[in-house]
Formats: sequence, structure tokens, C-alpha cells
Amino acid sequence: MALETLERARQEFLAALAEAGSDPARVETVRVRFAGRRSGLLRDLEDALKLLPREEKPSYGKALNELKKFIEERLAAAHRAAADASKRGEVADVTLPGRRPALGAYHPVTLVRREIEEIFLRMGYSVADGPEAEDDWHNFEALNFPPDHPARDTQDTFFLKGGMLLRTHTSPVQIRTMETTPPPIRVIIPGRVYRCDSDLRHTPMFHQVEGLVVDEGITFGHLKATLEAFVHVLFDPEMGVRFRPSFFPFTEPSAEVDITCVFCRGKGCAVCTGSGWMEILGAGMVDPRVFRFCNVDPARYTGFAFGCGLDRVAMLKYGIPDLRMQFSGDERLLRQFEGIRR
Amino acid sequence: MKFSLAWLCDHLEGKSSAAEMAQRLTAVGVNVELQETSGDDVVWDVDVTTNRPDAMNHRGLAREAAAAGCGTLKPLAVSVPEGATPVGELARLTVEDEAGCPRYCTRVVRGVKVGPSPAWLATRLERCGIRPINNIVDATNHVLLDVGHPLHAFDLPLLAGSEIRVRRARAGEGLTTLDGVSRTLTPEDLVIADGKRAVAIAGVMGGANTEIGPATRDVLIESAYFAPISVRRTAKRHGVSTEASQRFERGADRAMARTAVDLAAELILRLAGGEVLAGVLDSAPVLPAPRAIEFSLRRLSAFAGCEIPREFVAKVLAALDLAPQVAGDTVTCTVPSHRVDLELPEDLYEEVLRHFGYDNVPSVLPAFAVKPGKRLGTWPLTERARNALVAAGAAEALTYSFSSEELEGATAASALGERGGVVRVENPLSGRLAVLRRSLLAGLVEAAGGNLRRGAERVLLGEVGRVFFARGTEIVEEERLALTLAGTAGPWDVARAADFLDLKGVVEVVLAELGVEAAAWRPSTARLLASGEGAEVLVGDRVVAIAGRLSEPTAEAFDLPAPLWVAEVDLGAVAAERAPSFQLLPRFPAVTADLTVRHGLSLSYAELLGTIRVAASEWLETVSPVVRYRGEGVGAEEVKTTLRLVYRHPERSLTQEEVNAAHFALMDTLARKLAVSFQ
Repeated sequence: MALETLERARQEFLAALAEAGSDPARVETVRVRFAGRRSGLLRDLEDALKLLPREEKPSYGKALNELKKFIEERLAAAHRAAADASKRGEVADVTLPGRRPALGAYHPVTLVRREIEEIFLRMGYSVADGPEAEDDWHNFEALNFPPDHPARDTQDTFFLKGGMLLRTHTSPVQIRTMETTPPPIRVIIPGRVYRCDSDLRHTPMFHQVEGLVVDEGITFGHLKATLEAFVHVLFDPEMGVRFRPSFFPFTEPSAEVDITCVFCRGKGCAVCTGSGWMEILGAGMVDPRVFRFCNVDPARYTGFAFGCGLDRVAMLKYGIPDLRMQFSGDERLLRQFEGIRR
Repeated sequence: MKFSLAWLCDHLEGKSSAAEMAQRLTAVGVNVELQETSGDDVVWDVDVTTNRPDAMNHRGLAREAAAAGCGTLKPLAVSVPEGATPVGELARLTVEDEAGCPRYCTRVVRGVKVGPSPAWLATRLERCGIRPINNIVDATNHVLLDVGHPLHAFDLPLLAGSEIRVRRARAGEGLTTLDGVSRTLTPEDLVIADGKRAVAIAGVMGGANTEIGPATRDVLIESAYFAPISVRRTAKRHGVSTEASQRFERGADRAMARTAVDLAAELILRLAGGEVLAGVLDSAPVLPAPRAIEFSLRRLSAFAGCEIPREFVAKVLAALDLAPQVAGDTVTCTVPSHRVDLELPEDLYEEVLRHFGYDNVPSVLPAFAVKPGKRLGTWPLTERARNALVAAGAAEALTYSFSSEELEGATAASALGERGGVVRVENPLSGRLAVLRRSLLAGLVEAAGGNLRRGAERVLLGEVGRVFFARGTEIVEEERLALTLAGTAGPWDVARAADFLDLKGVVEVVLAELGVEAAAWRPSTARLLASGEGAEVLVGDRVVAIAGRLSEPTAEAFDLPAPLWVAEVDLGAVAAERAPSFQLLPRFPAVTADLTVRHGLSLSYAELLGTIRVAASEWLETVSPVVRYRGEGVGAEEVKTTLRLVYRHPERSLTQEEVNAAHFALMDTLARKLAVSFQ
């Protein structure tokens, strides 16, 4: 009996609501009649609960709660529909800018570093790191820069207390890796480096990525193929690559690696001083003296190492004209890289 | 280094064009960087690497060119017509320090007439960047550029006792060098002295007291070999780098000392007349036995990764004066005294390979046993931190690790920055780059200031990087993340300036991304931050982050035009990345109830929340802020905080009555425990 009352109330409510349509005032009248706090029908039905025999109470209570929820939901929907109707004819300006959360932006050097790391991770290299405040052994001596050797002059070193210095290249991590890891070794080492130099093309802090492979049977041809593959993935599969003999104390033989000038595509321009080439990497076969300093047997193992400037690659890839600009923290530059993920 | 093409060709038999020669030299590692026409000559700027002092002269470069296929090197012809008087009658030589001066050769030319050099000589020197002085000095410089051996000419009668003594300087001994600088020497400096005093700093620069002048009649020519380290230390100590010191410190040619003195005597005779006295005073005429290096042809090919023909190996090494002897698989080379860089088989591999042509070695990728690589060290951590920064909407900046004493000190004034002393750079480029940062804010605040001064409406910059502390004798590096926030809150909110909660929101996103949970925020008294607007974030007892408005004096020191909100996080405190896991979704509905609490400003949100957490029913699932109200209807020292509480039972639906009862009980407890009231 009691449950039928509830069902009747539901039907009545639906009929009244249908009749009210989308007139806000009439919807409100329906609300007061059924869900009004003081004299609404629901209130009466709640009061009726108290009069019911005990065994009927649970089923009635449950059905009443469901009805209450049903009525509240329908009323809310009717109110929304009424509100919509009252705005009919008015179209939201969907071209207004949204309240959007700020997009972050990775630094171009981070983007380039991650891209390079990804290339080498896929070739089975790990990514290593080491301290930026280094000792003379790792930065120089074990890399075959003897004390009082003129090759140190090319390194423009910042000195700290107690014989420490700011690493002038990421190469000391080659030594740290060989000191702690037996071959086979395949690592790249990106990081911050420091040189006591500041002008249009040099900043006292910049970034390098270093690579080191040590194994049995590593050849100069392996070095060449690895760096060619690297350049072709990073820039363009058609990019010209050439190897020129050079000198680094820790590699023998040493090479400088040039790529086709990205500005003139090899025709010769002001940037490449007419040569059509630009230097991008230093590389070479690990000098046996370095192996000896790290207790790696040069009779058994050979290896190659390479390094390049990340900031320079970022400049070339993204067309940033000035090295110093990258360290200014200028959001007009940095925010141009919003939404780029690597 | 500058080279004259015509001069190079004087040493070569058989012609090549300038372009071809430049291209071939560059291909073997002597980089010809710039070519300029000068009169009927071509002047090159050549980058000679520091390991090749033997190529820092025309004959040496011509030898490389010949080995690279540009003609043949002519033999070096020298013949000195000598007078009858033996040199020993006019000059005496004593080398007291043979370690510093393994060889000293000298000749005397008597009765010269000092004057300007002929045009051919002056022009040659000028093209190579050396100013002509007079025929005697120019003759020595010509020999230097020709065969690479540094010489010095003394006015013989000015040498007390007509003698040369090679010795260490006496403590405090003085010498005015040819550049007019009066120098005080130390016992570590090797000097050339006469019977009384120093007359030259060995291998670095001559003295004014025995300089060749218009009145000079008799000349003593020095052609020595000085130990590289001694010359380098002295040159560094006196802050000079000369044509001579650059060559000696890289390694001069001991054998050439004798030939060079003959070449100089011959040229002086030709230019200035006079008589070359008979003989040479030579402190060490017997040369050490040349080094022999042996290597295997098979190993060379294995090293290169391709077959290098034995005929090619023999031909190149012969052209480089290395006298190769091939017996079966073994090649034995004898290293001439000018090649100071050759010691190991690999050094010879390089000689062969650079002439073979790096581009002629076939490229073959190494076949690795495939094992995936991974990020090691702090990379996994710092990469997460960068991701967190970007997720929080920041633009990642990279700023210098250096700062000035003043600005670094100001930004280090916090629990994170005071973890050790400042590390100073001993040779800074400027005062602005004098010390290493103990806080990333040193550079980041500067960068934020730049953006604000350029008129940026909003700044949200971040950086991940290292800071440096002096702790005892150690330098300790820590990984950090920092943020700066300034300007307006965002689009549609331009009227509202960013405030502490905007900053805290960004920091909370970062901490959440980094998996830092259970972080407690408490007010900070750090000098870095404005009083009453700074916070420290703790996990346990450890301060893991600081956040707040940059204090006024610091903002002024950075010349900031607007308030700046800053934060720094110690990444050392960051937990290992959380392993993702799934918790079953709730099966029963939640009941929501709002609670408006009116309370004094001294009651912190954290305290209110903590009390609610303790006092509330176990069904309380979450509490979130809805609105805070201060103003009309609320006392000056009061605030109304509206919270939304969500209740849920894990195993059944809660009734409204149950929730109401729990909610009222909570209000009772709060009223008892805290000074609060309810609307």
C-alpha cells in the first residue's frame, strides 16, 4: 500500500514537471510542491514513515530515499534546462581564450641532449655522470695532459681551492668510468663544463656530450661508422661527414669531424668561412697511455672516444644565433620551445 | 701561425698549386685556415697542433707537404766559410745546469756591420708576423721561421769576461728583458749569464744589457736546446709567451741546434759581412741514441679496421724521415730528434692513417652484444626533476654556476644554502663570476629580473642543476631544483598578482611529481625570504625545500622591478620513483558535507586540518578547501574557512543520518579543542 503511494507521487511529480516545461518560475513551483522543506510532498511522505508498522519500514524507507534522489535530480536538470532556455539566442563566444594551465618548456640544450641520449641508448650505451668540481688527475693527468704541458693552455681552466678545478671537458668521466667499470664499456657523458673564456662565441660555462667505447677489436672504422650514424640521425641522413686528423692528448689517432654546413648546404658561406664544412665533433682512438692510467690492458682492448658541444648543436638545429642567449633565461626564447618533448 | 707559400716552395722539389697543397695538408691534419695573397706570395694561417712543434716552421711544414704528395723535400744545404781564429780565443762557454740546458752551441761572427735587412728578408718576416729589426736579429728570426730553432744574438764585447754561463738565477737577481720590463728572477729560472750577471732568460727572452745595436761589431750566436718544463714554468711565472718559449716548451730539436747556428752564421756573414770564427762551442756534441719504435702491420690493419698496404706504410714513414725497416710483419722506425711526439706504436698508426686518409677507412658499425643502456648516477633524478618543472608550467633555464660574492651570499641565506661554505674561483673572469653558487637562485633570480625589466607580465622560470659547498677540505655537489614566479596569476586573472599560494601550488606540483609525500610546511625566518612570507618544507627533520617572497634587500641587490616569488628543492631528499599500483575503486557512494569554521588567524590551516583528521569519524575520506573569507561580518583577526568533507564507508552506503551525526560530533570536538565557531 505504502509503496504504491510513493509510486503515485512519482507519477504526479513527472506530470507536473512536464507541464511546467522550461519556464523557470513554474519549475520552481513544482519544486516547492514536491521538495519544499516545510510543506513539500516528500516531507509528508517522510512523516508517513513513522506511522508504518515496523516490518514495512525498511522497504518503504529505501524506496523513499530513491524517490527523493530521483526528484532532486530531475529538478536540477529542469532548472538547467530552464536556465539554458532563458539564454536562448545568446551564443557563447567560443573564440575567447581558455583559462589554460601554463605549459612548461624544456631548454633547447635539454631537448638536444635528450635526443642525443636517445640515439645512443638505442645503440646500447648508458648515460653516465661525474662531478663538475674535479681534481687534476681526472681532468688532466690521466687524460695524458702531463703537468706543465702546453696542451693544458688550450683548456683555459678555472681553479678552485686545494688543487681542485672546474672540469674543462666531460672527458674526466671517461677516466672515472674506466676506473670503476671493466670493459666492455659503452657510455655517453653529457654535462656542464667550464672554460675561462668569454666573448661572442665563448661562455665560461657550456655543455658537452662525451662518448666512450672500450672493447676487444674496436677499430677506427667503428668510430667512423658510429659518428656517421649519429650525425645522420641527429641532423639528416644525407648530411655529409668528413674526418680530419687532429690532436687531443687522450686519443691517438685523433680526428675532428666536420658536417656539411647547415646554412649553405656545402656551397660555402660566411658562417663556414667559405669551406662548406663546419666542425661538430672531436674524436679518436683511446690513447694507450690513458688505458694504462686506468689499468685497462692496451694489448687486449682498444676503444674510441668522441665529444661535441651541446649548445652548439642546439644553435645549429634550432637556428639560435648567439651562444650567450641560451644562458640568459630569457622567456621569450625559452617559451618558443613550449610543447616540445623529447 | 703564418706561413709564406714561396718560402715553403724553397724547400720543395716539384710544384703543386697553393690550393692543392692547402687541401692536402688539411687532409693530413695541418689545418690551413686562411689564405691571403700578399704581393707575389700567398700567406697562410695554419693551425699547427701543440704536439707538432716540428711543423712550426717552413721546412717542417714542407716535410709534411712532401709526405702528403706535394713534391720532394730538398736536402738542407749549409756551408759556413770560417776564418782562421778559433772561436775559443774570443768566447768561453760553461753549462752549469745540464738538466735545464742539455745542449748549447755558439758561434762568433767578428766585425759585422749592423744595418737594416734587405727587402726580401724584411718582407718575408713581415708576412709571417715578425717585425724586422736589424740584419743580425732578422737573420736569427729567419732561421727560426725557416727551420724552427729559436736563436739569440748577443753583443759579444758587452758580455763580461766574454763568457757564457748557463745557470739558475740567484734569488732576487734582476734583468731588464728586451721588452723593456725589469724582472726579478728566482732560483727556479734558468738564465744565460756572463761573468757577472744574467744576460737572458733561457729560452724565453734576451736581456737589454747585451742587445744588438747599431754599434755592435762582434756577435755571439746562441743556439741551444732547453728543457721544455723549465722553459714553460719560467715563461708562466713571468707571464710571457714568446716565439722561442712556445717552441721550447713544446719540444725543440736537439740535433738542429748545431745546424741552426751554422745557418745563422752563414746568413749574418751574407747580410752584415765580417768573419765567422773557426769552430763551434758545443756543450754536448754527442746526441742521445734515437728512439726506435716497432709495430706489427697486422695490428695496424686490425686497429684501422681495413687492410693498409705495406708499400704505402713504408712510403709514408720514409717521407716522414722515420727510416722504416720492414721485416715480415714487423716495421721498425727510427725517430728523428725533431719528432718529439712519437713514442708508441699507436703514434705511428696515426702517422700512417692520417696520410692514408681517414675518409679512405671504410665505416663499419661495431657489432655489440645487445644489452640495453640506462641512465646512471644522478641522471634519473635530475631528469625527473626537469619533467616536474615542465609539468608545473615552468620554462627551463640554464644559468651560470658562478655569481658574485654579494648576490651568491644573499641567495644562499636559507637552510638549503647554508649547508657549507662558499667555493671561490681562484682565477675568476670577473667579480660577477667570482664564486660558485650554493643556491640555483643566484642565476635564476638574475634571469627573472631580466625578464621583468624587459616588461614580461608573467615569469615562471625553473632550473635543475648543481650547487657547490666547501665542507672541510672537500667540495661537495648537490642536485637542486629552483623556481621563480612573478607578475600576474594568468590569463583572465591579469588583475591579480601572483601570491604565495600560486607559488605553493607550483611547488606542490613539483613535489608531487617527485614523489615527496608527507611534507610539512612551516614559516621560515631565512634572510633569503621576506619576513612572514616564507616557508620551509620539511620531511621528518630535514628541510627539503624553501619557498616564499624574495626579501626586500635581496630584491634590491638584484635590482628587481617587482616582487619575486622563489623556491628551491633539495633533490637529495627526493624518494625513489614510486612504482605505479592500482587500488580498487570504491563500491559505495560517498556523502558530502560542507563545514564553515570561523576562527582566529593564529589557527593555521594545517592545525585545523590535523585536528579534524584526528577527531573525525573513520568514514572521513577527504577534506578540501572551498573558500576562505575575511571582511565584513568577520572580526579583523578572524577568518571563515569553508571545507568540503567527503564521508564514505568501504562496505556499505552511509545514510544521511549517520553522516549528520558524525558531522555534528566532529563540530562538537572542534569547538572543544580549538577556539572556533560555526555558521
